[in-house]
Amino acid sequence: MRAVNPVCKFIGLLTTTFVLAGCHDPVLNLSAFCLSIILILFSHVKIKSLLLMLSPVLLFAVGMFFTGFCFSAEGSMPVSEKTMIFASSAFWNGMTQASRVLAYAGIGYLFALTTDQIFLVRSFQKQLRLPQIFAYGLLAAWGILPHMMQEYKRTKAAFLARGIRTFPVSPALLGPLLVKSVRWSEELAIAMESKGFSGNETRTDFHPVRVQWYDWLFLGICLSLSLMAIVFL
Amino acid sequence: MKKGTWELKDIIMMAVLGVVFAAVYMAVFGGGLLISAALTPMGLSPFGFELVYGVWFMASTLAAYIIRKPGVALIAEVLASAIELLMGNSGGLTVVLTGVIQGLGAELVFAAFRYKKWNFVSLSLAGMLSAVFIFCYELYYLNYYLLAPGMLAAQLLVRLVSAVLFSGAICKLAGDGLAKTGVVKSYAVGAAVDTGKIYDEED
Repeated sequence: MRAVNPVCKFIGLLTTTFVLAGCHDPVLNLSAFCLSIILILFSHVKIKSLLLMLSPVLLFAVGMFFTGFCFSAEGSMPVSEKTMIFASSAFWNGMTQASRVLAYAGIGYLFALTTDQIFLVRSFQKQLRLPQIFAYGLLAAWGILPHMMQEYKRTKAAFLARGIRTFPVSPALLGPLLVKSVRWSEELAIAMESKGFSGNETRTDFHPVRVQWYDWLFLGICLSLSLMAIVFL
Repeated sequence: MKKGTWELKDIIMMAVLGVVFAAVYMAVFGGGLLISAALTPMGLSPFGFELVYGVWFMASTLAAYIIRKPGVALIAEVLASAIELLMGNSGGLTVVLTGVIQGLGAELVFAAFRYKKWNFVSLSLAGMLSAVFIFCYELYYLNYYLLAPGMLAAQLLVRLVSAVLFSGAICKLAGDGLAKTGVVKSYAVGAAVDTGKIYDEED
């Protein structure tokens, strides 16, 4: 999955997600979830980090089950006999809401965990004609992220040294971070401009991002699966 | 500075605000999850997120408040959601699409004011329209139309209040606070504020 062109992966998986939103079938949702997990496991993702990311989603899925169970709308009664095998419409509704959360998260993680961020931005620039100024702006801002983390920890430590305890997103911590970030952003822009970046020049790529045959294959599989779901459900 | 045209520093500013808020979103997502877990036995778990939903509109309103140019609200929100996607979120791929929808809501309000009114009212209205827009989309995408109408109305109400609190009140405070420190002197919000010599160029 790692080698697939990010834009092809993005379009393919986005279409699949949308089709899933259209059909309320717990079985379909759960199979999409399982398929994504299997694909993730095949792309050398650390199982521990996967479990860590999945646990809140599972929690939320349980929450959505009870919401769907307790507050189902009148129109959500199953119409076809196929879905009547479930005990009640409220249970069915709960299952739909819960499995939907899982399916979306599974597909989302499949994308997030198997895509290199820089590769993604460059692919957007090349294949979707994202203007250079945005592509490099995004990459530059992305590069600041580690500094932000560092700054956040530093501010927290500074407060702790004065005996003040702070909670994770308190204004006391975010204020200095915001000021620093704004300052960095301005310095970054000046630095880029002083190196001759204007966003209009033609440039060559050290490592061009291309669309290969297997990218088309992946996109084809995703689209045909979505089409089948629309036709048969 | 020509009005209406974008410079590199505007775009970097939007992207950097996007990174800050994407990090905040992740933290808030955890918090919202805790609240919603507590509400689960009553079947009210979505309210955990409705309470903090306004946080998701902050990137667009704050960026627009600082830069004050057409299109900033929309693009800032899209960039923030793109960065959220880069970080890997559990909402799935459509996060970029939600960014477009939310940004459009805020942008329309600022456009209706002809990009001239920048106060608590316009910021709150921008947040509220974002909230309404994203709610309509979620009716389909999250299958919310399967839930009871009374529940949906309550959800929307809580979300609107949250939008006013976060994107109206807190963004205004944050923007004014930034202007006072002098770091945004080269942007529209800081141009009018007299800060004296606080910003040390050496640093």
